[in-house]
Amino acid sequence: MSRSTAPSSRWVAAPVAALATVGLLTACSTPLASAEDTVIFAIKEDPTCLDPQQTSMTTALNIGRQVVDSLTDQDAETGEIVPWLAESFETNDDLTAFTFTLRDDVTFSDDTPLTATVVKANFDALAALGPAASLASQYLAGYDSTVVTDDATLTVNFSTPNAQFLQGTSTMTLGLVAEASAAATAEERCQSVIGSGPFVYDSYVPNDSVVIVKRAGYDWASTLREHSGEALVSTIEFPIITENGVRTGGLDSGEFDIIQDLPYADEARFDTDDFNLYAKANTGVPNSLIPNTSRPIVSDEAVRQAMLLGTDREEIKTLTGATNSEPPTSALTSSTTGFVSQADAMEYDPDAAMALLEDAGWIEGADGIREKDGVKLSVSVTAFYAQDVLETVQMQLAKIGIDLQLNMVTAGDFFGVIASGDYDFLGAALTRTDPDALRVLFSQAASSHWAIVDDAELEGVLAEQAITADAEARAALVEQGQALIIDKAYLIPTLETTQLHASVANVHGVAFDSASRIVLYDVRIAE
Amino acid sequence: MAPTPRDRLAASVRYLGPKLVQFAFVIWATYTVTFLLIHFLPGDPVLAALSLKGGDATTTDPAELAALRAQYGLDGSLWQQYVGHFVSALRGDLGVSIATGQPVADMVARALPNTAAVAVLALVLGVVTAVVITFLAFVSPWRWLRQTLLQIPPLGAATPAFLSGLVLVSVFSFGLGWFPSSGSRSPLGVVLPAITLALPVGAIFFQVFSAAVLDARKGPYVFTAVAKSLGTGTIFLRHVLRNSLLPSVTILGLLIGYLAGGTAVVETVFSRDGIGRITVDAVLARDTNVIQGVVLVVALVYSVVNLLVDLSYGLIDPRTRLALVGRRAGSARVAAARDTAVVES
Repeated sequence: MSRSTAPSSRWVAAPVAALATVGLLTACSTPLASAEDTVIFAIKEDPTCLDPQQTSMTTALNIGRQVVDSLTDQDAETGEIVPWLAESFETNDDLTAFTFTLRDDVTFSDDTPLTATVVKANFDALAALGPAASLASQYLAGYDSTVVTDDATLTVNFSTPNAQFLQGTSTMTLGLVAEASAAATAEERCQSVIGSGPFVYDSYVPNDSVVIVKRAGYDWASTLREHSGEALVSTIEFPIITENGVRTGGLDSGEFDIIQDLPYADEARFDTDDFNLYAKANTGVPNSLIPNTSRPIVSDEAVRQAMLLGTDREEIKTLTGATNSEPPTSALTSSTTGFVSQADAMEYDPDAAMALLEDAGWIEGADGIREKDGVKLSVSVTAFYAQDVLETVQMQLAKIGIDLQLNMVTAGDFFGVIASGDYDFLGAALTRTDPDALRVLFSQAASSHWAIVDDAELEGVLAEQAITADAEARAALVEQGQALIIDKAYLIPTLETTQLHASVANVHGVAFDSASRIVLYDVRIAE
Repeated sequence: MAPTPRDRLAASVRYLGPKLVQFAFVIWATYTVTFLLIHFLPGDPVLAALSLKGGDATTTDPAELAALRAQYGLDGSLWQQYVGHFVSALRGDLGVSIATGQPVADMVARALPNTAAVAVLALVLGVVTAVVITFLAFVSPWRWLRQTLLQIPPLGAATPAFLSGLVLVSVFSFGLGWFPSSGSRSPLGVVLPAITLALPVGAIFFQVFSAAVLDARKGPYVFTAVAKSLGTGTIFLRHVLRNSLLPSVTILGLLIGYLAGGTAVVETVFSRDGIGRITVDAVLARDTNVIQGVVLVVALVYSVVNLLVDLSYGLIDPRTRLALVGRRAGSARVAAARDTAVVES
């Protein structure tokens, strides 16, 4: 039989070879595909509110990013703002008007098209939401109006210069929802929103799970992503698993593909070939002690300087198990645009710290705590997370004779303390992608009122960077601000918080955006 | 002389009337005490709710906070708030969660079936196991075996649910893969949490039940039954079981009350939505409306169950029934029986 077919085989060979070549080429042009349709991503807490415009909770944003797209995107490496739903954008010289030209092929999952009117409805609704969307209110500070020129063109106007707005348009906080969602109440939007993203909300059972499914026909991904077109898996389930041990155990047993927030202590256990780890430092101001210099002891610069020099950031990293992070070396984290290291001015030097205190008249008392004129060198820090970090600082400061009292409270009480101004130090980080985080934290004119610092020079620099359009000039001001803050010890940085997630080894495509939130558009499971 | 229907009605009213008044009083008192406790807790519910969503961008602007307080009925004097909320609650309106924006009634309606599923299964498992172990101890011919069996259940009460839950998850989910580790997405998800809860519930029930059974075992009617050479099983079911029901039913009522609100640890370990979980979340977030709503519902469940327990005495113990019709003093003895049961638990 084989012999009889032999003569014809040459004739068959050519087309078969051609087909095979085409097949190979096709395989090459679609390099990304998923072997499985469903990804199980265990999250650590109930997202509470699914509307990324309203919530600042990392867990909620890690889900929201998949459902809601933004006008622009930001390169996490370079900090460059690139087009996304807006194919081009322009800023006027004094940062009061931003003009966007929209792509014409974008639709929301309710099949309504993205038009300039919808963008206007989004910003107008956000401005009206007020305290319910507090982060958006900060991005939209001085918002005046959105003027629609035609279907694809709009201009956002501000009454005062707004340097952070353009970067803000790359965040989910200013992400775009369909007109129907923009018109809904804040409470309704928390249950579900309609976005233009690669996934849509399928279900949300509080305290149980969130499920998102692939959006058919999606074709407007940001160029920063690995592929284009529809998402690679059809369903992502987010079971809400509050117990750390159950999340890690489930990852180990294969019940979960990806887990949010791998505890630092478990890192070594999962740092093997069977798992992938994903770590990225939060942007903005690192975990720090934030002073209220209207308090007598805190107003003493020598005390703050001694605290800055007496804090061993390398040891904090080791003792809290945060092996993936870098010790902070400035008032901004190393992953933030505009970061300039101030390491020399804040190197650990307990001897210098003690000398500073001696010179300022703080003499060691009987119990090892220094005192001056009968006043003990005792200050308190109010915080609602990272108790282990503060305990390490407490131990380190005790060595140079400073008594640090920890006041751990709930998140609500933390802001209650800010509202009343009743604190020596706050213990917290401020997560923002833009270096304007410094102004939010330190400017006495800002609405947040965290640090209480009376320094006209710093206030001037921070106000100036917020209205400077030229990137280089602004970077110089941001650098000046960081130098001033560390020089006067207006901030005692402790740790750069790292987002640490883990997945089984055959999961690929888990990426971070510039705000260290997760993007799952490229996620897939290999054979 | 047989009692007339009129006598029976009067007796029922005499028996039920005070119980119904007590029922209403318990619910009102629980509501009021909770209201006062919440309002004397330090912390601002509006700020707590805002910080949940706002994170490090939470506003502390006094004017904005005042507007939100008014929106959630948290302005005005304590008395005004109390009357306002109480009148709404009487109308069946439990208000809106400050933290999540959802109606409290919806949240409770969503969580209650999950908790009920775990609680009912836990109760069944716990009670059946307790009865089986007690029966084995009852029929055991050797003293040492009986003593050993009687010492096993207290282990269930001594092991914290947090620990037993994690051990069960490690073995049966991560190890053997028989049951899901978490959530209520799969119907099998109810098994491990129910076993975890069945341990303490079964142990407490066992303490009371086995004591009652072993007490009844010494009764003269058992001696008579043995003398009549009845089978051990028949003696247990027909004579001993019925006589030990009174304290057992009482403790069952208390356990159901405990299960209605006491499932928080298990729901956290197994990542299940439920009454306990939303209570913990609500307390942490100072979500006053949700705390009030949940406490009200749990108090309702507890009171209804205890009313049923009181009524069941009449069915279980003919002496109670006779005492009711005969003289009012009977209820005192019922109360005494309950007290014994509680002390023994």
